[in-house]
Amino acid sequence: MGSYLIKRIASLIPILFGISVLVFTILHLVPGDPASIMLGTNATPEAIAALHKSMGLDQPLVTQYFHWIGGILRGDFGVSVHSGEEILPQILSRFLITLQLTVFGVLIGWVLAIPFGILSAIRAHSKTDIIVRVATLLGISVPNFAIGTLLLLGFSLYFNWFPPIDVVSFWENPAEAFQVFILPAVTMGIVVAAGVMRMTRSAFLETMDKDFIRTARAKGNSQWTVVMGHAFRNSSIPIVTIAGMQIGYLLGGSVIVEQLFSIPGLGQYILDGIYQRDYPVVQGGVLFVALVFVLVNLLIDLIYTWIDPRIKY
Amino acid sequence: MKKRVLAGFFLSLSLMLSACSGGGGTAAPGDQAKPQEGQQAAAKTELVVAAEQEPVGYDPHKVPAASSVRVYALIYDSLTKLDENMNIVPNLAEKWEITPDGKTITMFLHKGVKFHNGKDMTSEDVKYSFERILNPDTGAIAKSYFSSVESIEAKDPTTIVFHLKNADAAFIANTASAYASIVPSGSTDLTKEAIGTGPFKLEKSEPGQYVLLKKNPDYFNKDLPKVEAIKFQIMKDEAERLAAIRSGKIDISVVSADSAKLLEGKPGVQVKNYQSLEYSYLGINVNKKPFDNPKVREAISYAVDRNQIVQTVWKGEAALTGPIAPALTNWAVDTASYPTYKTDVEKAKKLLAEAGFPNGFDTQIETAATYPDMVETAQVIQQQLKAIGINAKINQLEWGNYIETWKSKDMNLMVGRNTSGVDADRSMRFFFSSTGSANVWNYSNPAYDELVNKALATVDQAERKKLYDQAQTLLVADAPNLFLASPKNYYAVRDNVDFTPSAAGEVYSLIKTSIK
Repeated sequence: MGSYLIKRIASLIPILFGISVLVFTILHLVPGDPASIMLGTNATPEAIAALHKSMGLDQPLVTQYFHWIGGILRGDFGVSVHSGEEILPQILSRFLITLQLTVFGVLIGWVLAIPFGILSAIRAHSKTDIIVRVATLLGISVPNFAIGTLLLLGFSLYFNWFPPIDVVSFWENPAEAFQVFILPAVTMGIVVAAGVMRMTRSAFLETMDKDFIRTARAKGNSQWTVVMGHAFRNSSIPIVTIAGMQIGYLLGGSVIVEQLFSIPGLGQYILDGIYQRDYPVVQGGVLFVALVFVLVNLLIDLIYTWIDPRIKY
Repeated sequence: MKKRVLAGFFLSLSLMLSACSGGGGTAAPGDQAKPQEGQQAAAKTELVVAAEQEPVGYDPHKVPAASSVRVYALIYDSLTKLDENMNIVPNLAEKWEITPDGKTITMFLHKGVKFHNGKDMTSEDVKYSFERILNPDTGAIAKSYFSSVESIEAKDPTTIVFHLKNADAAFIANTASAYASIVPSGSTDLTKEAIGTGPFKLEKSEPGQYVLLKKNPDYFNKDLPKVEAIKFQIMKDEAERLAAIRSGKIDISVVSADSAKLLEGKPGVQVKNYQSLEYSYLGINVNKKPFDNPKVREAISYAVDRNQIVQTVWKGEAALTGPIAPALTNWAVDTASYPTYKTDVEKAKKLLAEAGFPNGFDTQIETAATYPDMVETAQVIQQQLKAIGINAKINQLEWGNYIETWKSKDMNLMVGRNTSGVDADRSMRFFFSSTGSANVWNYSNPAYDELVNKALATVDQAERKKLYDQAQTLLVADAPNLFLASPKNYYAVRDNVDFTPSAAGEVYSLIKTSIK
């Protein structure tokens, strides 16, 4: 287990290095440069050249790459070419916001998904099952910007209620933070729920067919004991897998939800960086997201061994 | 039944929410109260303005982003400014004198103006600011506006003299630009400092969330500004801005023409508009075959029905335009005087045949996917050109890519938008003279160059007007661009806010805004 952990963590280095090269190259291959985007169609060639120089973009690409990666290794993510702000503090503070939103959204999603998913599996082909499946289908197929917009307009039009505009953290003021995050989290939660619910249903259906469940029933256990005591843990692996992937994606920034509700999260930060060709912001942001993603995956793999003792690394 | 279920759902959720807000604790004042009460509280002196984009720094000489300009133009002052009729009026400069040869401009500064740090604003600061703009290392946006300046002399603390290489009739108008703001002498990093003489001070900037400006109590115009604070709240999504203004969370927001229609007649909100200085155009690369043939361009001009663009793209809420947007009433020529503005498909076909393309040809139109109006304009033009046999493919580009293509001078046709600027010189010379830095169409006509250069050197405004009239007529006939429509801009404003937008700019309106 220990050596496995070390191996896994060591394998992060080539992964992150590969990502850094990839994102750097792709970003610089995309047409458009920050100086001309900043100056727009009002640009004079001298102004663009001067801006290039001050952004350090007149250097050869390889020099730029090593300058950047060297900084990262020293913990210096550089400054935004657009605003001149330090990038790392920005990434961290925005990640915290995204983290709060994700935790809230995922909780809502699971609270909805797991009980209904189980219910739908143990009452397969009943009315309940059909309702749950239709709801799942809706949750998967209606895009989250539509759900978000409906929630936003619905609340402001019918109840004149609009979430507080300034984001506060849960540690500062839980009540206000709840109001800020509730609509975006519900928006996110619906999408999360749909995926998890589907997986829960099919995983349970499969498990409920297994011999050990029949044995458990034959021994006269109650439905509750059979489902929660025997089936639950044995169905968890695929659920945890999909949940882990969802968390990874959401932590990378649920761009649309953040945009819709003006949540200054990581996704929005990187997206703005892409529009403005703010190279250090996008590179640093993507690298950070990649790191979070692989760490979440590692965590999921570790959770597997706890759920199913047969899995050993 | 369904409605009731939905209403019940919203009701229960909102009850849950209002229950939560009861224990709000130490939230910012105003946020805790219900929106309507917050709006009507007598003590409300903070104006909340929705910002669609985040400001990207506050250096007025270097940052052209509109999201930044709207903020720093409230922090800094320029020597002159515009009034709502687009006339140049005094600002930091109380008055000015121009020698008869037009080569020496003496400006007398307002006395007793202080920077936000308490320092007096003197002619040395003005000299420093303009020298900073003219220094190539700064990469200042306004450098080209002041290329006629030879030297600047701080004669005494309140007198500044500009010595010009040649007479420059646009000089005074250009000093009204926010890009020519006066900054304190010796400032090095203006990106975040933001110390000006303007009506507001930069209080706080929360990345991704808001920018808070507080009233400058020492502002040299004692009656202004009328509110204690302005908060620019960053809200990128139009649906969110609409919901926020309807529920009173924000006071002022730019809205699209479509949303303006939705808001009309809704309680608590007023929609206000003004004729903008912008215009849309179809750019034509005059170097590219077959567009190097003037007859082909003329044919395109006859084939395009500009009125249809006004009706389809702008729902009738735009004006026909020439090279200078109609909001600049002093300079714009009446579009009725341009022969090619009367759509004539037969004539267009004939011209095309004369040019050697009786069956038309294939080409492409580049446009920016970022702006739906540009895409729609391109689509309407595509249809109209089809009528004379020109088959145009539309290429929708992402903004960064679009700018690159624009700069490349290698496109065929391109749909875009320009801002006229406040003086005719910018609309004409900057975009279309042979050496104009925004002339990416390769248009070069010595007769045109002579007209606009002569106009720049002419101090007599009536004479200038005549020259620009000729230049506009010539330009429309040569058609390196087809000038299409100048749209209206819309603001949604809460009922209790006295805000009147005009082409003079948001800043001009915001300073005078009060809350009832």
